[in-house]
Amino acid sequence: MILEAVKYLAYVLIFPGFLFCFLTGLLLSGIDRKLVARMQKRVGPPILQPFYDFFKLCGKETIIPAAANRTVFLMAPLVGLAGLVVLQLFIPVFSFTAFSSVADVIVILYLLLIPALSIMIGGGATGSPYAGVGLSREMVTVLSCELPLVLVLLAVCKKVGAATGTGLCFSLTEIVRYQMANGSLLGKLSMIPAAVAFLMVIPGETGSHPFDAAEAETEICEGMLAEYSGAPLGVYKLSHSVKILSMTSLFVMLFLGGIGGGIQNLVLALGLAGGAAGALTILLDVIVLFLLCVILTAVAISFVHAVTARLKIEQIFKYYWTVVSALALVSLVLAWYGL
Amino acid sequence: MDFPFVKEAISQLFSKPSCAMYPAVESIAAPRYRGRIAFDPTKCINCLMCERVCCGGAITHTVEKTEEGDKITRSFNLGCCTFCAHCMDFCNHGAIQLTQDYHMIATKEEDLIVSGTFIKKPPVKKAVPPKPAAPAAPAAPVGADAPGGPKETAAPAEAPKPRDDGKPVQDPAKCVYCTICARKCPAGALTVDRAAKTWTLDEDVCVGCGTCAAACPKNAIIM
Amino acid sequence: MFKKLIEESTGKSPWLFHINAGSCNGCDIELVSVLTPRYDAERLGFKLAGSPRHADIVVVTGPITAQSLPRVLRSIEQVPEPRCIVTMGSCPQSGNVFRGSYSICGPLSKYVHVDVDVAGCTPKPEAVIDGLALATQILQEKRRAMK
Repeated sequence: MILEAVKYLAYVLIFPGFLFCFLTGLLLSGIDRKLVARMQKRVGPPILQPFYDFFKLCGKETIIPAAANRTVFLMAPLVGLAGLVVLQLFIPVFSFTAFSSVADVIVILYLLLIPALSIMIGGGATGSPYAGVGLSREMVTVLSCELPLVLVLLAVCKKVGAATGTGLCFSLTEIVRYQMANGSLLGKLSMIPAAVAFLMVIPGETGSHPFDAAEAETEICEGMLAEYSGAPLGVYKLSHSVKILSMTSLFVMLFLGGIGGGIQNLVLALGLAGGAAGALTILLDVIVLFLLCVILTAVAISFVHAVTARLKIEQIFKYYWTVVSALALVSLVLAWYGL
Repeated sequence: MDFPFVKEAISQLFSKPSCAMYPAVESIAAPRYRGRIAFDPTKCINCLMCERVCCGGAITHTVEKTEEGDKITRSFNLGCCTFCAHCMDFCNHGAIQLTQDYHMIATKEEDLIVSGTFIKKPPVKKAVPPKPAAPAAPAAPVGADAPGGPKETAAPAEAPKPRDDGKPVQDPAKCVYCTICARKCPAGALTVDRAAKTWTLDEDVCVGCGTCAAACPKNAIIM
Repeated sequence: MFKKLIEESTGKSPWLFHINAGSCNGCDIELVSVLTPRYDAERLGFKLAGSPRHADIVVVTGPITAQSLPRVLRSIEQVPEPRCIVTMGSCPQSGNVFRGSYSICGPLSKYVHVDVDVAGCTPKPEAVIDGLALATQILQEKRRAMK
């Protein structure tokens, strides 16, 4: 019983939970900043720069605005981070799953909203007009991302459900297991538009460059973060980085889950047995997941950041509800007809 | 939608960045960069021209009376300077130079002040005999010219010689009494009357800066 | 150990907030040029923050006009400790050619403690980098002095 509790505590605090999110999230965001800089002919900051930023912010004074609600102002960032850590617990790492059996795609959809909500609540609690503008923009951004995201997830669920004969399969574990047995979904013709649509959703969902109207630092002083300083700001910056990890690892699990099968075969071929094989599998899983996340960050976030300029809020809305949604819908229809 | 920088971004990812790695690699300013002021107090004659032309009011001086003479400290406040180099251009003795040094970082205001001290000796008093001669010299040609007398003999005969104390001498044959020298004189030592055709020098006020000679359109002033 | 980590990080991630207090725009452009690919201050960790509450170093340009003075002081007050104030160009240090005008309230040092002066009109980007590096050191010392 105690062993069980310690195991789950380790899940929450160390491996798919907090520490893993902290390290990989900040590392991904450092790689993102470096890549953007290189694409813009710059040397760029060191890859560990987000770590420096985070620790520096921890050492700064926290100013609480007179108009703000103190409790909400301080708790909102923690709620957002907690939401993301929980989300990371529910996303399987190929064959390794911490809590995946109890949660499915719909829970992930809900959890993805929590960071955005926390930033909106925290920003709203400051009473700053910049936060007000940022809040309304963030809401529109979330709303525009949500439709294509739901359509993409539906398409994947339908595809896997049709193949396994359950109609619609909402379990992420099942989706990954299916891919490990039958190859990645990215290899299926009907899923390619959905994968492209998901790639386009990643920058919108993480609030990175062309879709960062809600946090435009040059026009509305980073919107909802305008009044934040010190450690709470650091937690928000950390949440932003962890969200990159969440979205990219979700992509890997939805469309590239088949690689997990390859890893298992590799470990089997090495002829290891028992605990050693399990540990090696998890280690390889994590390394492969991290590398894939880096590639996805480079393609979906850094590259898009380097070649585009910030969109207006109505352009974001129009883009997601037309181009990206259409792509996801094509995939859903194809999956419905069993392609 | 149009993405004009796609090719650029990808090609840059695999080529060298175009950064000047400044703190690691020292960079030298352009040859005529106007940076930190270098002041050579040994050349300065305290003509005050630099203070007059400074648009930021960055140049000041203090005078301290000593036995040897006036101890003058001229200071340039770089925190007030526009680096227009007017002082350098107007300094006839080359005492002010704007160098290529651009590292003008200070944590205290004193760090930004460039100053130099020199002692200006009072005018030598034994120069009494030339004194009446100087006003007399211009007076003679005026008198000679008036009756339309012998120009050929007057001009070469009266050709002025440079004085040994570095103060200006007028060549009446060339002078047209345009008053530019009087207006340019930073010390206000020259009085030129256009109507009466007189050119007078107040030797006690003159610092011998040479601004009048440089300004004269007819080169009628000899230092 | 955690304190040491914070101290180290403070020196590696200084965020700038730029206040234009009636500047002629020369210094503003040079400050932005420090962040361009040519000089790329981001490789040293510098970043332009949008809000004074995110900043560590406040860069003031311009001769502090009567209109801008209360706003400058309010913005500086909003920067969380430890903070560092850098004046860029001759204007905030003395008023430069605008000195003595009825609408100029400068110099800035009359109102707040200025940590670093970067002289020049306008300073070369290299000089700005020098000044910011010095400001970062001062920032680190201030952080060390905090409890």
